[in-house]
Amino acid sequence: MTIAQERTLASKVRADFPILHQQVHGHPLVYLDNAASSQKPKAVLEALQHYYQTDNANVHRGVHTLSSRATDAYEGARDKVAAFVNAATREQIVYTRNASEAINLVAYSWGMNQLQPGDEIMLSVMEHHSNLIPWQFVAQRTGAVLKFVELTDTQEFDLDHFRSLISDKTKLVSVVHVSNTLGCINPIEEITRIAHQYGARVLIDACQSVPHMPIDVQAIDCDWLVASGHKMCAPTGIGFLYGKLDLLRSMPPFLGGGEMIADVFLDHSTYADLPHKFEAGTPAIAEAIGLGAAVDYLTNIGMDKIHAYEEELTLYLFDQLNQIPEVKTYGPQPNATASNRAALASFTTGAVHPHDLSTILDQAGIAIRAGHHCTQPLHRYLNAQSTARASLYFYNTREEIDAFIVSLKEAIEFFGSIFG
Amino acid sequence: MSLNNLRDLYQQVILERYKKPRNRGKTNPVDRYQKGHNPSCGDTIELTLKLDGDSDRIEDVKFEGEGCAIAMASVDLMAEALKGRTTAEALEMVQKFQAMMRGEAEFPQELRKLNVMQGVAQFPVRIKCANLSWHTLKAALELQQGVKPAGFVSNE
Ligand SMILES: Cc1ncc(COP(=O)(O)O)c(C=O)c1O
Repeated sequence: MTIAQERTLASKVRADFPILHQQVHGHPLVYLDNAASSQKPKAVLEALQHYYQTDNANVHRGVHTLSSRATDAYEGARDKVAAFVNAATREQIVYTRNASEAINLVAYSWGMNQLQPGDEIMLSVMEHHSNLIPWQFVAQRTGAVLKFVELTDTQEFDLDHFRSLISDKTKLVSVVHVSNTLGCINPIEEITRIAHQYGARVLIDACQSVPHMPIDVQAIDCDWLVASGHKMCAPTGIGFLYGKLDLLRSMPPFLGGGEMIADVFLDHSTYADLPHKFEAGTPAIAEAIGLGAAVDYLTNIGMDKIHAYEEELTLYLFDQLNQIPEVKTYGPQPNATASNRAALASFTTGAVHPHDLSTILDQAGIAIRAGHHCTQPLHRYLNAQSTARASLYFYNTREEIDAFIVSLKEAIEFFGSIFG
Repeated sequence: MSLNNLRDLYQQVILERYKKPRNRGKTNPVDRYQKGHNPSCGDTIELTLKLDGDSDRIEDVKFEGEGCAIAMASVDLMAEALKGRTTAEALEMVQKFQAMMRGEAEFPQELRKLNVMQGVAQFPVRIKCANLSWHTLKAALELQQGVKPAGFVSNE
């Protein structure tokens, strides 16, 4: 892809994001914290507005017109999500509040009931706390044991180590697709294939991949996959769990309440069919509809295009960062086409602590993340107390990377002038 | 970049203390120990105090730990300012520092060095960085002698 085309994608879409067109501390906002949460296009904001202005009612309950419109829109969004990740049927998409809740659903419904003392759960050291703590709960309750795949020299998922750890005792492999800290893209199809040879189930945390690249759950062949709407142009409060049909059918409900039942008696109940069995209570209706609108928006642009553009940005970002001697980046360097990593860079700068850096950049209108990005064990493994992270999305431009680099250099100089 | 704004925050003294803290280490003996930690940013300090039991005075304060320039300068300046103070005076200083972070107070002449932290009040998200050491001190002082401290205290 040429630079001219690249400019076209970001410049074509920027007008769709009202929030990007503002000044922060007297400078144009440069939003580089997309791995934490993305911005929302007008199409999504309008879908929310439209829903509340014209269709608002509870779903699956009323016979009246508004309820039926709300139900259609809510269920229509499910079809969109199913198509977006190529799920075979719509029943395989369960709405959750976010990815964390989706993982907890699997941990409580499946993990707590299926795992026995001595069974092994395989994670990696790069997991987000969301894909760690629920399994700690399961291990504590069931006596299952947690195992952790470590990193290669290039700070990527060590497939050889994975092969050496896995055994017939492994009942679950739960790994992140794209690390929110290292940016590496993990070989999840290979991981899934190997895990299945040992009869283990596979959960993929796709929070950082679904927003940025085409995802095909059938090609991956994973048993579950989770993602959060707010990182993919949708509102907060909505995410989803994909699962294999037989497996979801065999899993007991996670939360009880309205919506998830078939027949209720005083002492027992029967449950609704999929996916409603897992959706207790009044759901996040507007947010689910917003997720549908986000999926439409992304699909219209094309996930291939988004991914290709972000690869170009990745190359440019690392090219610039690599020229600053004080900067140390984490995760793999991009290969020639950046097909091995995401458009984000976690880094340290020696003298400038990530928090101070974030404050300094904020004064220039540049939003980056500083801290441990919910991967404390990974930071410990890397021997880094905290890192700074710039994470991009398809509406970011090279000019924004330039602005970030200029301010980063100024911050290093500012601290350096005192440190001499 | 608004470097002027930043110079208010990152006063020379703060950056110097960040680079070359004067009160790193552990007191001997350790009469009080408390760990302070802000989980969302990772800043961690381990504060130790040496007390004179008779006069209830703080004889020495030291710290270990890692964090941003604001947190590190704050704990280093605090350690210095506390030497020779009674625990009651130290608790008053905690109050005063927290009021200063709200822009409502400053320290008198003999403690004016602490006033270099005043600029932090203009950066609300960073106040917890400056406060961490004082928050930890308060927990250390309020701890009964010989009682084991809770894992850590946080002011997030
Ligand atoms: C890789 C990864 N997993 C899980 C999560 C958790 O997402 P949420 O907080 O939306 O549940 C995040 C986002 O913070 C993430 O980046």
